[in-house]
Amino acid sequence: MQLMPFWGCMIPLKYPQMESAVRFTMEKLNVDLIDDNRLSCCPDPIYFKAGDKMKWLILAARNISIAEEKGLDLITMCSGCTATLCEVNHHLKEDASLKKEVNKKLKEIGREYKGTVEVRHLVTVLRDDIGLKKIRDSVKVPLEDVKVAIHYGCHLLKPSAIMKVEDPLTPTILAELIKATGAVPVDHKEYLMCCGKACKDVDISLNMTRAVFESVEESGADCLGLICPTCFDSFDIGQLRISRHFQKDFQIPVIYYFQLLALAQGATIEKVGIPYHKIMPKSFIEKLQPEPIMA
Amino acid sequence: MKKVNYEFRDKLNTVLGGFAHNYCYQCGACVGDCPAHRFLPEFNPRKIMLQAIYGLEEDLLGPDSLIWNCTNCYNCYERCPQEVHPIEVIIALKNMTREKGTQSPTVENILQRVNEKGVTVISTEMIKKRRAELGLPEYKLEGKEEIEKIMNS
Ligand code: SF4
Ligand code: SF4
Repeated sequence: MQLMPFWGCMIPLKYPQMESAVRFTMEKLNVDLIDDNRLSCCPDPIYFKAGDKMKWLILAARNISIAEEKGLDLITMCSGCTATLCEVNHHLKEDASLKKEVNKKLKEIGREYKGTVEVRHLVTVLRDDIGLKKIRDSVKVPLEDVKVAIHYGCHLLKPSAIMKVEDPLTPTILAELIKATGAVPVDHKEYLMCCGKACKDVDISLNMTRAVFESVEESGADCLGLICPTCFDSFDIGQLRISRHFQKDFQIPVIYYFQLLALAQGATIEKVGIPYHKIMPKSFIEKLQPEPIMA
Repeated sequence: MKKVNYEFRDKLNTVLGGFAHNYCYQCGACVGDCPAHRFLPEFNPRKIMLQAIYGLEEDLLGPDSLIWNCTNCYNCYERCPQEVHPIEVIIALKNMTREKGTQSPTVENILQRVNEKGVTVISTEMIKKRRAELGLPEYKLEGKEEIEKIMNS
């Protein structure tokens, strides 16, 4: 299977461990990632869209047109990129006059948006195309001792009419994918909370993330598992800020789903960049990899 | 007394590309699951829709507007029985602040970075080193002139 990966900005330029983990897992699953260096910022669905909606549409359409050139679906690994690219792809497929307007601008740079490919988050490819069985078969060291509280984040699932992943009130996709690694998904009450990244009032973000941490602590999970570098930012480095602000030392490691999967497939802790995380208790590393693996 | 501002209403319709908010019947279904409301009760998507219907420009587009506290979670989009899509109305309002210069400074930062670099995150030496440690190729972006052309057209 061939896919065009859309890395976005945060993954390659802030959290490259996520890129490394994705590349490792895809190789194990026989997926060819056909990279293209012309893909830019998605652009950002919060501030860029709030600043200039038309340019937001045009730049997103430009990115999609690059995947169209090669006839490949464009696959995202960040919920923000998913939001922008899925939404724009949906609107341009539905609205012929908007598409015309966007194409008029794209023509100036010699491009055209046709509407011939899909944009999807990589976890939906895992569930729908590769399938849980193949994932389970690729696992060498099941992560049986690892209890994972899930943070879905907002933009994988909503707006559901556009994303079409599943009902955003009762999602199961990440629990299923975590189980496939041998790890144990753990319920917690704030699993649908937002990461709070976009609010102007810092108190809102701090309280939102605190609510998630308290919920994870209460659940007895070992870590918080997620699929978006922006959510990761809020919860990993953000945890230092929250601990300081509320004078409470949270120690909840945060892990990107593909890091878990790669570890289960035999990657070393270093290969998936676990040592780069701000919050990473030694006891958790020992759970992730009880026996050191020779690289 | 505050008066209905018809000019503002027309403008919002143009920016939004519709007038879905006019169908808001103030039921409040968008409020219950709004995380910004949960942690800052003054922020209320139902009230913002009412202000939009009245055209209360100062409240909505002024420098202290509450709209910038929306987390973009899309819960209101899911819940609204009238398909008002409050979040999209809020984004259209944010678009309108730019003309007034009352937008969030982050908006300009992000637009400028994309214009200059094509991406929003500036690469650092530490990340370059990490990419090398992880065995990843150096990050490079081609076609920046295309992006610049779109940004400046
Ligand atoms: S849910 Fe829709 S109709 Fe009800 S108050 Fe909110 S925007 Fe208005
Ligand atoms: S998108 Fe904004 S207004 Fe709508 S529910 Fe989320 S935080 Fe509230």
